[in-house]
Amino acid sequence: MSKKQKSTIDPVVIIMFGVVFLAISFALLLFQSQENNGITIASSSGAWGQIVVAFVTGITTGGLSCLAVQGGLLASSLAHQIEQDYLVNMPQTHKRKRGEAGRQVAAPRTSSALPIFLFLAAKLVTYTLLGALLGWLGSYLSLSPTTRAMLMIAIGIFMVGNALRMFNVHPIFRYFSIEPPKFITRYIRKTAKGTDTATPLLLGALTVFIPCGVTQAMMATALGTGNAAQGAALMFAFILGTSPVFFIVAYLATELGARLEKFFMRFVAVVVLVLGFVTLNGGLNVLGSPFSFNNLTSGLLPSSSSLSSSDASSVQAAAPDGQLILRVQSSGYFPRTLKAPANKFLILNLITNQTYSCARDFVIPALNYYQLLAATGTAQVTIPPQAAGTKLFFTCSMGMYTGQIIFE
Amino acid sequence: MIKKTFSVPDMHCSNCSMKLESIEDDLPGVKGINASYHKQQMVVEFDEKQVSDEQIIAAAKKKGYQAVLA
Repeated sequence: MSKKQKSTIDPVVIIMFGVVFLAISFALLLFQSQENNGITIASSSGAWGQIVVAFVTGITTGGLSCLAVQGGLLASSLAHQIEQDYLVNMPQTHKRKRGEAGRQVAAPRTSSALPIFLFLAAKLVTYTLLGALLGWLGSYLSLSPTTRAMLMIAIGIFMVGNALRMFNVHPIFRYFSIEPPKFITRYIRKTAKGTDTATPLLLGALTVFIPCGVTQAMMATALGTGNAAQGAALMFAFILGTSPVFFIVAYLATELGARLEKFFMRFVAVVVLVLGFVTLNGGLNVLGSPFSFNNLTSGLLPSSSSLSSSDASSVQAAAPDGQLILRVQSSGYFPRTLKAPANKFLILNLITNQTYSCARDFVIPALNYYQLLAATGTAQVTIPPQAAGTKLFFTCSMGMYTGQIIFE
Repeated sequence: MIKKTFSVPDMHCSNCSMKLESIEDDLPGVKGINASYHKQQMVVEFDEKQVSDEQIIAAAKKKGYQAVLA
């Protein structure tokens, strides 16, 4: 391929890198505040915390996942298209169209940054509208923990399958890549031929038809909000978070070529594989499966898994009156392992104290118990008699924080 | 008009099929292309008086793919 002649730095690039810098600084500040003060980000409200988490998810993993799992790599396609247009329009390399070439000298394309920027802006608007729609739909239905678990497991399998596809492990994994219907690809292709500003805008809007795994998970969360404004804000924050990574990769793919894109794809495949397993594991937790990573390891190493607890004892036994106490904190459940007498009714006291993470969404899958706990307060759960040796797993609704009650 | 199937083993995503299908806009005589990432192939409908297999293979190569007549 011919070498491109770089003239000046595109102002859009400077603006975008500014946005990237600000976004990363914002994310780092958030992480720091979490470390220093516990989870203070959500101190004003749980909804705001969810939005911040969506943004951080977007900036850390969503952008890469979007690029990977969309399969079609629409942004990259756009970038290639721009590159081709750029090369075709360069009068030095293609002298065939004399009249047209002369015209191009007067108005040369300066960079691929502006179309990618427009593409991302359109994507942001479209997904925000989608978030509003999902939130509105969510107000008419509620996702039970089991449905959510099945959704997470399906998304996890989808992501792992896609990562294996990217590693070219076996031809069967190609079927994890969703091929959009021909009429859509044909329409996108015809649209991509345009060089006006409407083209990237339309292409950005069309990405709504090929969401990636993390985006799909976020869409499920937006559905779970049951509120149009909150759903829109959630998707806005998430897509805003994905934009810097999306922009950088798409821009570099245009500017530095396919070799770098391949390198990025390897990296993306690794990230998606890890994310896929994390999602799958979360789904298994919400389902109360003993085969999730957390539950398997807590069974093997009961004491070490609870060392992070601030309690004096990592394993707590039930009081003589059958009362169990579980402290629900923003960083998880303490103690993680409770011991209880078998064949006896028990009362589990869930104590929250300025708890704002998803630990508040408390689930006991085996009892089909689900409760959104108050940020500060005590909730009681009656546990029916269980046979000796039974392990009752509990988790947050995202499958992130887990624990168990062992009956003996 | 005839239809021929070309194997394209180096397609690595669904976007590749979109790129290969764009050959129909570039090569006069090609009526339509149906490329599939899943099957790693493209079915080309073309007028053999206007365009040859070699030209189609060359057009695919220009897009970055090694097409072989199946």
